Amino acid sequence: MGLLDRLSGLLGLKKKEVHVLCLGLDNSGKTTIINKLKPSNAQSQDIVPTIGFSIEKFKSSSLSFTVFDMSGQGRYRNLWEHYYKEGQAIIFVIDSSDKLRMVVAKEELDTLLNHPDIKHRRIPILFFANKMDLRDAVTSVKVSQLLCLENIKDKPWHICASNAIKGEGLQEGVDWLQDQIQGAKT
Amino acid sequence: MAAKSSSDSDSGGAESNETNSKWLDAHYDPMANIHTFSSCLALADLHGDGENKLVVGDLGPGGRNPHLKVLKGPAVLAESPLPSLPAAVATFLMEQHDSRTPALALASGPCVYVYKNLRPYFKFTLPQLPPNPLEQDLWNQAKEDRIDPLTLKEMLEGIREKAEIPLSEQSLRFLQLELSDMEAFVNQNKSKTIKRQTVITTMTTLKKTLADEDAISCLVLGTENKGLLVIDPEAFTVLAEMDIPSVPVFLDASGQFDVEFELAAACRNGNIYILKRDSKHPKYSIELSIQPVGLVRVHKILVVGSTQESLHGFTHKGKRLWTVQMPAAIMTMNLLEQHSRGLQAVMVALANAEVRIYHDKVLLNVIRTPDPVTSLCFGRYGREDNTLIMTTRGGGLIIKILKRTAVFVEGTGEMGPPPAQATKISVPRKTRLYVDQTLREREAGTGMHQTFQTDLYLLRIRAARAYVQALESSLTPLSATSREPLKLHAVVQGLGPTFKLILHLQNTSTTRPALGLLVCFLYNEELYALPRAFFKVPLLVPGLIYPLETFVQSLSNKGTSDIIRVLVLREGQSTPLLSAHISMPVSEGLAAA
Ligand SMILES: Nc1nc2c(ncn2[C@@H]2O[C@H](COP(=O)(O)OP(=O)(O)OP(=O)(O)O)[C@@H](O)[C@H]2O)c(=O)[nH]1
Ligand SMILES: [Mg+2]
Repeated sequence: MGLLDRLSGLLGLKKKEVHVLCLGLDNSGKTTIINKLKPSNAQSQDIVPTIGFSIEKFKSSSLSFTVFDMSGQGRYRNLWEHYYKEGQAIIFVIDSSDKLRMVVAKEELDTLLNHPDIKHRRIPILFFANKMDLRDAVTSVKVSQLLCLENIKDKPWHICASNAIKGEGLQEGVDWLQDQIQGAKT
Repeated sequence: MAAKSSSDSDSGGAESNETNSKWLDAHYDPMANIHTFSSCLALADLHGDGENKLVVGDLGPGGRNPHLKVLKGPAVLAESPLPSLPAAVATFLMEQHDSRTPALALASGPCVYVYKNLRPYFKFTLPQLPPNPLEQDLWNQAKEDRIDPLTLKEMLEGIREKAEIPLSEQSLRFLQLELSDMEAFVNQNKSKTIKRQTVITTMTTLKKTLADEDAISCLVLGTENKGLLVIDPEAFTVLAEMDIPSVPVFLDASGQFDVEFELAAACRNGNIYILKRDSKHPKYSIELSIQPVGLVRVHKILVVGSTQESLHGFTHKGKRLWTVQMPAAIMTMNLLEQHSRGLQAVMVALANAEVRIYHDKVLLNVIRTPDPVTSLCFGRYGREDNTLIMTTRGGGLIIKILKRTAVFVEGTGEMGPPPAQATKISVPRKTRLYVDQTLREREAGTGMHQTFQTDLYLLRIRAARAYVQALESSLTPLSATSREPLKLHAVVQGLGPTFKLILHLQNTSTTRPALGLLVCFLYNEELYALPRAFFKVPLLVPGLIYPLETFVQSLSNKGTSDIIRVLVLREGQSTPLLSAHISMPVSEGLAAA
């Protein structure tokens, strides 16, 4: 740690770093959500499907997030588990309008929850029931029913309806995540 | 929505439950009201938004209310009534420089309706067929009131019974009428020229020039008139027309129209005909002798389902590879292609409400459904690559998604002895003839053996004689005399009309060089011209291979070819040391010119 860093740390200016994994099926809006959470001058204009994964950073009032924005395409989903160990929190994004693939999202979530690197940890999981603006989107209550979220007993979780394009619902989620991470440490 | 619609299992294993199933139940709607066949299902990204839609040529309940439906996810996105029952739907890319959204083709009656962006774009109608001249004549007479409707009816019936050329629609409709209505019908229609039109029975697509996934495709149509037509996707003209001996009901096309292609047509007479580019008529024919109920190409193998509850595998030349028995009648079949794992298999829906998945004759997986499946297809739907769509007899819709981690393993299902071992062989009863024959064998065994041995020796000596004779007359490319051991090997290069003929001559003796040899060509002078038909061979050092080259000019332009004989002679001797026959290839240079 450099002198400047230590100084700012002592003064409480330096924010605590947390590693977050952003997971979910392809086209669910992960990249769009993370992009919207970045300061407006750092946001990119066009969003393309992620290849492999990308590392992004954004800050909340008291935390500095490093996000692993994973690609949700089928052929890249087996990469996810290699980052489970480092993750301190998970953001799981669901396209609320893709009714057909809700079962696939559930299958991937169940696989995640049963993974040895996740199973016995009290890691907070934030769900975004995204694309709420679309006509055939189902409600966040319905999403949590379809994914059987009530069965998650040993981890704190929270679901927010969101519209990543307008940025609606995102702040609520990030505030919850911040509380969880700080609550766990103090 | 994710109600448990069905279960699946590997063949031999125990009844599966939710956890070890290979499939996720994405959707089940028993009241979807979709009644169709596999040939009327197609998956494509019709809007170019990366999300595949399902196109259904729906016959309606009881085949009385045909509709074209487009589904997005579990719901119907668009629907439009059809003038008549659909025979097949297909999606294809129409223009090279177009946006990459595929067009939709729906075959119904004598027409193919083409839609772009789900809007009607073009209607292709099958060319009209010449009517029966006798029939035409009768209507002409009716027009001039020379025959009354009753005579007309009798004469037309006569034609219907005997004639090769079937009646026109007008005559057929006339024959169905009551006596009282005939007069009016004749008066109304007598001045019309009669038209004969056939209908489309089946349709598929065939890549035009390139094999790429996103290359343009032609439509291939099978007609009730025992014909196959290839339609150009841009101009909608008939590119090729082929005749087959029966009415095609299932079609498979592979290859590219402009390069090389192969069509397989399963027909109503129980035969499957295989046609190639440049063959107006079938090249191979598979005689199934029972009705086919489905045709799927898996890699190079044609898999055919038959009405006798069995599945057959054939090579593309028509050789039968295997047969598997099904536990119930086959309802429909289609291809399962898992791109990520390079797997191709065939899905067979059975009347006992099972869908079985076979790789060759190995059973990979069994899915049980609440109701027998009448149509099914597998592919990318929505954004999911491995989706299985099935519709049931009661009009239900079942959508399943193959798990990302699912692997179909060959043989896992096959535990214990293969099922064929358990089937009882019906051994025929011992006949009188059999008993007599056994007795005779027991008594005259020695005699029989001796006769057999004599024949065998005779055969051997004849073979040996023929061999010696061949050696003596130096008919082989290996010289037999120990004084001049030589070996000859000839190669023909080029496409014609000029070929290069290279003789590789080797002196196989260990020490003695060969001197004073000659090479002579014997050939048909009407077909070939050689600059030197006779020349001397240089000294042959033992062991080395000497290439001797000469040009051969093919003179015939009829695509015939002949044999050229090469003789190697010793100076002053008339019997050749060795000889070789070279079968010349057909000159392609001239054929193309
Ligand atoms: N209508 C609507 N569209 C959204 C919303 N969020 C994202 N999208 C759109 O969904 C598409 C996919 O978004 P991405 O952020 O690339 O999705 P992703 O989850 O990162 O996808 P992969 O990187 O392939 O895993 C984009 O076209 C977005 O504009 C939303 O809330 N509403
Ligand atoms: Mg992304």
